[in-house]
Amino acid sequence: MKLFVSGRPAWVSIGLTLAGTALFALLPLWLSPYGVRVGQLFVLAAGLAVAWTVLGGFSGYWSFGNAAFVGTGAFTAALLQLALPGWPAGSAFALALVVAMLFNGLLALAIAWPILRLRGIYFAIAMLGVSQVCFELVSNIDALRGALGVNLIDIVPKGVRPERFYYWALLLATLIVVLVAIMVRHSKLGYGLLAIREDEDTARMLGVPTTRYKMIAFVISAMLTAMMGVIYAHNLGYITANSVYRGDFNLNVIVYSLLGGMGTIIGPIVGAGIMTYVTQVLLGDLLDTHMFITGLLIAVLVLAAPNGLYGIYDNHRLRMRRRKQEAQR
Amino acid sequence: MTLQTLVDGLVLGGLFSLAAVGFSLLFGVLGVVNLAHGAFVLIGGYAAWTLLDRFGIDPLLALPLIMLGMFCLGYAFQRTVIQWATKRASLLASMLLTFGFALMIRNALVLVYSPDFKSVTPSYAFDSLSFGEVTVGLTRVAALLVSVVLLALLAAMLRFTSLGRTIRATAQQEQAAALCGVNIRHVFALTAGVSAAFAGAAGVAIGLVMPFSPPDETLWTINAFVVVTLGGIGSPAGALVGGLILGVINTMTAELVGAAFPNAMMFLLLVLMLVVRPAGLLGNSFKGSR
Repeated sequence: MKLFVSGRPAWVSIGLTLAGTALFALLPLWLSPYGVRVGQLFVLAAGLAVAWTVLGGFSGYWSFGNAAFVGTGAFTAALLQLALPGWPAGSAFALALVVAMLFNGLLALAIAWPILRLRGIYFAIAMLGVSQVCFELVSNIDALRGALGVNLIDIVPKGVRPERFYYWALLLATLIVVLVAIMVRHSKLGYGLLAIREDEDTARMLGVPTTRYKMIAFVISAMLTAMMGVIYAHNLGYITANSVYRGDFNLNVIVYSLLGGMGTIIGPIVGAGIMTYVTQVLLGDLLDTHMFITGLLIAVLVLAAPNGLYGIYDNHRLRMRRRKQEAQR
Repeated sequence: MTLQTLVDGLVLGGLFSLAAVGFSLLFGVLGVVNLAHGAFVLIGGYAAWTLLDRFGIDPLLALPLIMLGMFCLGYAFQRTVIQWATKRASLLASMLLTFGFALMIRNALVLVYSPDFKSVTPSYAFDSLSFGEVTVGLTRVAALLVSVVLLALLAAMLRFTSLGRTIRATAQQEQAAALCGVNIRHVFALTAGVSAAFAGAAGVAIGLVMPFSPPDETLWTINAFVVVTLGGIGSPAGALVGGLILGVINTMTAELVGAAFPNAMMFLLLVLMLVVRPAGLLGNSFKGSR
């Protein structure tokens, strides 16, 4: 795999992110309520995909089971709120969010020890197994109410349209995810993860604490995913195991990254934007063949642009640079 | 009561084995994880349903025909799509590609056959055999026999024929096999064909025993993966052992723990097995397990 090393310093990335977020924050003022709903789906998808990238994109450990953290985050928050009736909405939400993130961090830490020893396809499938076990347990143990469903408290302030409020809430969460990802990417941890992706054994030989780095990235990824899950659950208002442990979350995050550019931060965001637009707006009316076209898109994507749009851009940039050097010679 | 559960588990396990062996072969020889394998299984099931429903052909007679058709499909799939993906991208990308195909096949099956459950019911579907206190439906006996016979044939083919030797050689050392004059691409495609043929056969056997619907493809793909992980990659014996264990665990969990828990138990077992012995019980060092 080719190593994408962006020459951009961290503060430029952070500045671009803040500017982009400000732009997106203003969008609901012009969009119709339907447009804002599509915007929510995009922002959620982008947040989940960047959270996945912290482990999957940087270190090359593709998790096929991130829905485990979306669902477990959502259910931790919902059950905690159920156990604390009568709390004011704001503080109940904040407490549930923090507890859900901590719980998922611990869960990730607990499963990291056995599972992160696996590589490649085995890690991917083990994570798929984990997400399935979580789903089955939450659906089948009555106390966890996965089959029955749980209502979440309403946190929309008076006078704000709910769809706008959740758009902004998801946008804020995604902003946090992206900022964390940028920070990881530009830290020693980030370089270690990239080294693991290129050649884990060599990285280890050269003194990169591979096991510790992978575990930290996994825990960060799980906590960020859980944060997105809690807000998504509030947006739904009423959740069942089926509505939050969604199998398509598992795969879509990977598809977004592949489409945009694996291992980059802008890649999954662009990929999420394109896929959300195509599936929700362009194909919104084709319910019968929706799955077929999604499958076709994925297949064409893998065959035509295995390194994603960023790969095409990168190749172009390299070619330009080479041409310039030849011209100078 | 427990004996009956055991027998039911073995019948189910036979199906798991047959449905997994093709997946295992492809994974072992090519290193490709075919997420469309479950969809291939269902194509076999729907083909048997169509032949019985429209033309009155008995599923067991249709079996060779379906296997031949699926062989051609698998061969073409490898020579065109997968080969292109593994050459240009990575093996992980080929996983995503086959997932795309699984979605397409699933959608196509829904459009053609409706999302309702179908089952293959020949005239003898409701007859059964009794041995003491154990009762087994005739179709279940047929399904188990099909599984065992086909697995034995595949094992013999891999062991004794020249094609089998070529496939095993390619799995062990691609380059060395190529140096000895093996046409790697052709062997890969033949392997994919055999894999698809066995998926089709499994579909027929499954159709005899239980109802199926298009979304089941995910289930059969995941089952295949669990069986392979339990038994070991690339060998019919591994698939048989893994499948039988999984089948028995499935029915025993349903009986002793609760009807809702076989899946959770299955995945728990999968994760445990990956941690303790990722190569599987009868594992070897073929491509997928390295």
